[in-house]
Amino acid sequence: MLSKFDYIKPQLLTEALNYLEQNEGTRILAGGTDLMIMLRHNAESPKHILDIKAIPDTNRLEYEAKVGLFIGASVTVNQVAESKLILEKYPALTQAANYLASYQLRNRATLVGNICNASPGADLAGPLMVYDAVVHIASTEGTRMVNINSFFTGVKKTVLKWNELVIGVSIPDVSKEDTSIFLKQARIKGHDLAIVGVTARMTDEKKIRLAITSVAPTPIRIVELEESLSLQPLTNELATMAAKEVRNIINPISDVRSSAEYRLHICEVLVKRALLHLTVMGGK
Amino acid sequence: MCEKHNNKENCITYVDSGFRKVWINCTVNGESVYTHIDPTMTLLNFLRNELKLFGSKEGCGEGECGACTIIMNGAAVNSCIVLALEAMDANILTVEGLNKNGKLSILQREFISHDALQCGFCTPGMLMSARALLDRNPDPNESEIVEAIAGNFCRCTGYFPIIKAITSAAKLEREEMNNE
Amino acid sequence: MSDKQYRHIGKSSDRAEALEKVTGQANYTADLEFPGMLYAKCLYSPFARAEIISIDVSEAKALPGVKAILMGDDIPYLVGLYMVDKRILARGTVRYQGEPVVAVAAVDEKTAEVAISKIKIEYKKLPSIQTIDEALEGKILVHEDINDLEYIKGVFFPQPDSNIASWNKTIKGDIKKGFEEADIIVENQLTLPAVAHAPMETHVAIAKADTYTNKVEIWSSTQSPFGVRKLLAKALNISTADIKIIVPYVGGGFGGKAGIHLEPLVTILSRMCKGRHVKLTATREEEFNQLPTRAGMRGRVKTGVKKDGTITAVEIYYDWDSGAYADYGVNVGKSATYSGAGPYEIPNIELHSRTLYTNKVFSTAYRGFGHLETHWVMERQMDMVAQKLGMDPYEFRMKNILRPGSHTISGEVINEDSGRPDECLAAVAKEIGWTGYRSEAERRENLSTGKLRGKGLACLQKAPAMPPHTSTSAIMQMDDDGNIRIMIGAIDIGQGANTVMAQIAAEVLDMPIEKVTVICETDTSRHPYDWSTVASKYTFMGGNAVKKCAENMLKQMKEMAAQALRTSTDDLAHGDEYIYHIHHKHRRIKYKDLALGYAYGNGNGIGGPLIAKGTYMADGLTFLDPVTGQGLPALDWTFGAHGVELEVDVETGDIQIIKIASAFDIGQAINKKLVEGQIIGGVLQGIGSAIIEGYKFSPQGRLMNPSFTDNKIPTAKDIPIEIIPILIENPQPDGPFGARGVGEHPMISVPSVIGNALYDALGINFYKLPLSPENVALAISKLLE
Repeated sequence: MLSKFDYIKPQLLTEALNYLEQNEGTRILAGGTDLMIMLRHNAESPKHILDIKAIPDTNRLEYEAKVGLFIGASVTVNQVAESKLILEKYPALTQAANYLASYQLRNRATLVGNICNASPGADLAGPLMVYDAVVHIASTEGTRMVNINSFFTGVKKTVLKWNELVIGVSIPDVSKEDTSIFLKQARIKGHDLAIVGVTARMTDEKKIRLAITSVAPTPIRIVELEESLSLQPLTNELATMAAKEVRNIINPISDVRSSAEYRLHICEVLVKRALLHLTVMGGK
Repeated sequence: MCEKHNNKENCITYVDSGFRKVWINCTVNGESVYTHIDPTMTLLNFLRNELKLFGSKEGCGEGECGACTIIMNGAAVNSCIVLALEAMDANILTVEGLNKNGKLSILQREFISHDALQCGFCTPGMLMSARALLDRNPDPNESEIVEAIAGNFCRCTGYFPIIKAITSAAKLEREEMNNE
Repeated sequence: MSDKQYRHIGKSSDRAEALEKVTGQANYTADLEFPGMLYAKCLYSPFARAEIISIDVSEAKALPGVKAILMGDDIPYLVGLYMVDKRILARGTVRYQGEPVVAVAAVDEKTAEVAISKIKIEYKKLPSIQTIDEALEGKILVHEDINDLEYIKGVFFPQPDSNIASWNKTIKGDIKKGFEEADIIVENQLTLPAVAHAPMETHVAIAKADTYTNKVEIWSSTQSPFGVRKLLAKALNISTADIKIIVPYVGGGFGGKAGIHLEPLVTILSRMCKGRHVKLTATREEEFNQLPTRAGMRGRVKTGVKKDGTITAVEIYYDWDSGAYADYGVNVGKSATYSGAGPYEIPNIELHSRTLYTNKVFSTAYRGFGHLETHWVMERQMDMVAQKLGMDPYEFRMKNILRPGSHTISGEVINEDSGRPDECLAAVAKEIGWTGYRSEAERRENLSTGKLRGKGLACLQKAPAMPPHTSTSAIMQMDDDGNIRIMIGAIDIGQGANTVMAQIAAEVLDMPIEKVTVICETDTSRHPYDWSTVASKYTFMGGNAVKKCAENMLKQMKEMAAQALRTSTDDLAHGDEYIYHIHHKHRRIKYKDLALGYAYGNGNGIGGPLIAKGTYMADGLTFLDPVTGQGLPALDWTFGAHGVELEVDVETGDIQIIKIASAFDIGQAINKKLVEGQIIGGVLQGIGSAIIEGYKFSPQGRLMNPSFTDNKIPTAKDIPIEIIPILIENPQPDGPFGARGVGEHPMISVPSVIGNALYDALGINFYKLPLSPENVALAISKLLE
């Protein structure tokens, strides 16, 4: 690690935002599970590191009936994984959180960090996208809200400006009949980066939402299929056909983790399995 | 440039790499620590190089192998990717702190009797993951144990003896709790 | 089966040094600090093959705190175990992406890292050799000076003007005739990639070179301290007397820490730094990318069989993608010749094993020493031949398996005490309930469930690959409290050597094991010689040496006691720490009263301090004939077999191993718990090679997975549901208490048995490793199309 940096841990949001404004190139430190590795490899050499974990709002994991859930920027992936409320309301998010990485990493990694790092394979992106989560972005100029589905702009790129800080993510409330599932294929049974991640949701109005990670420069919603799937009751045949159709929509690459051929293949398998799961759940 | 030599240029007896040091205050294995460190230092290097607690090991330096696992404020973390400064005011437990008044803890004894180690390099991190598990869940089933140690690589044992050791330790610890 | 009653042999005593390891007290080389110690870092080649045009270290040199900068041109020496072909730092050209080019020693790691970042090197990129075929073609030579390299003649056979570091052969019988006798001939090609040892502790070395003489002290995480001493002496042209190698605790080796690695570099850096300690710790990326691997390999095998399953002839070409330097890899290639056809009677065979130079990170010894690789080829071939014959692969193996009276392919006769591969195979077949291959109908029936089950079998054999005149030694002393200290030259890298040797000594001396300790921190200037801790030979050789050493101590005690008790040594027995008269048992002396010699009541003293020695020399082994490969290379054969039942998810390609039964004829378990530990750990490492592991190179020869992020090894979630170790005990008469080795064997044939079970489950034969979800799923979907 060649970086020489000043480390600051502000107690107030305003302090943090001012610091960001005055020191361009400051890197945000929450869990550090991505930043520390970039520092180790000298991929980045920031002169300023801003630790957000003392900012009160960022530690909130709060649900309000009819409004929804707020997940602050310092909330760890294990807090998300172990939340009974999230398991009940947003099961795909719990599943994605459990598959993200090892227990030790999940004690540090944050949900917001996962989306801000914006890897094409960000495990938590899919669940947030199918629930139309909203990203709360703050700067000295004020706060703005961005739908997660517009948040990613490219490989490891988001809409965040250099002086902006995400304080949290909110997920709209859902009713009891709403259900979802997250499926991930990796190279091993142990923790690993995803070859492909599939999230599927059936709303209480039987609308289907489908998101896939690691098959494009950013996590994506398969909007074309969502529309046709939502027009009719979800049957096994429909699920199988839709899964096949996904192959024509996505264009994954081959990389060190997997060939494009296997990504296409496993996408079809996981989409089919996810949709079949929803038919079973939706049948209740 | 260093403080020791009044910030002179071309200091030829560098004893640090010229970063401005900062104070850190924390508790490690029950003892208060208050010292002056390089702000870019990782928690692992702080424990090893500053405090000379060599039990925690570096196996990869990027949070994959778990050899550096310690418990910070009750949570098992990979100390190689935590900045030492993040441990300000924190409560840290390492393998050196597992003993009970100078005697081996139940967990350590069960590791020995089940031969849950061979070369021993992954063992400190493995013990800390196990300790963190038993602290939050005194009666874990096999899949919970596997999940707790899935981020601790072992190349020697094949994991089965480790799982048996932790299962056995959990039972004995519960018995000891009940007897108290 | 041995029915002797032993006090310690066969028992599961706790591992020695377990306490130090569970308390964090065990010091590994990376934990050592010395006053004034400097830290080294290296700069690596980004190219697989390139000419070094210029190196500019001026900015790095100017950094305060940088004490030495070393380049290839500063070091005129060559290093090599068998072929002296390696520069300590690249000189003139680089031969693999990852090869160290410049080394820096500085006051701390940060300064060393900054210095490295300031070094500018200009390269001229050159085309490189990336595949086995390119290597064989030889249009580009990885070592242009191959004709001039020094090497061990008569054992290795480098081919002039080529990339063949050695071409070794076994030729027995007449394969032309053998193939003519065959009813069916089956030909196949199988491959597997390079994998990493991935010990949890990376390579680390610290050197302190004396300023005024050639003397150097080295602390190293090594399996071969005496080997390092010898090779370093040769490389630097100094005396072995000037070199002291000390080995702290070692965090795993698996063969990667055998031979010589970082030691020459830190020695020269320390010399340049006027004798200050210099420490070099490999990062995990360096462990993957700079330090050696297991070689990739391609095997082409042709088997001739009669209709009744009798093998008549085998022709094999093993081509080893061994990387840029011969290191230990060339010996792996050679050792395939006497063992690379599996535990079967093969009357006519021609086996060619070619170790090839390529522009990749070089290969070295790895647990199994080429046997996992050759058994991937042979044990898959055995199944595929059985398929063509329409024969049960269990019956086919049993038809040809080595039995008393059989000959190995190097011409050795197997006798009743050599071990029983047939018993191993029978045991695992029984454990998994083997009843023959599934039928195609059965497979189709179960296809709709999405999960198919299959069973597989595979056999294995290995004898230590070592020079025929390998020896080892032990020294034992007793203190006046009656405690025994044993000094050995082998290293406990986790396999439990220290525990096992203590058990053997305690058994011979009939003492509590708590009073018998093997001294840690082997030091070549004090400890007695051992060749190297490799080859699964130490329980056998060291065990014999320690046994003889303990017997020597008994002899010394009895000689003193005979005088003191006024009797003859013939009438003395020993037990429970006493030497006593066989009839008048009250006439006895405690061991500890002889430890420093014996003192009579009136003050006379006789004898002297008890210092015992024991040595063992491999008995009756020979070199292999350079043309035919015939000879007696095998100290002892450990035979084994695996039986596996697995389940495949036909859509994702995921394999779940339900049960793997692994049987080994180990003669006599010295410590049952430790043997089972070797089996469980080795089987899982084998599963890693089978399903998960493999180096990936770009077409230009850059390693694409140089870290745990993409170079995965099995985690606790990757274990089978059950691993069942089965210990078969047909004693080896010349082994200590009948014991044979088993350290490497559990890994061997694990990929083959899984490949064989996949055929049973899917009806698909696999020819490449790893059997990853991707490779399995795509093969299935191709079949279903």
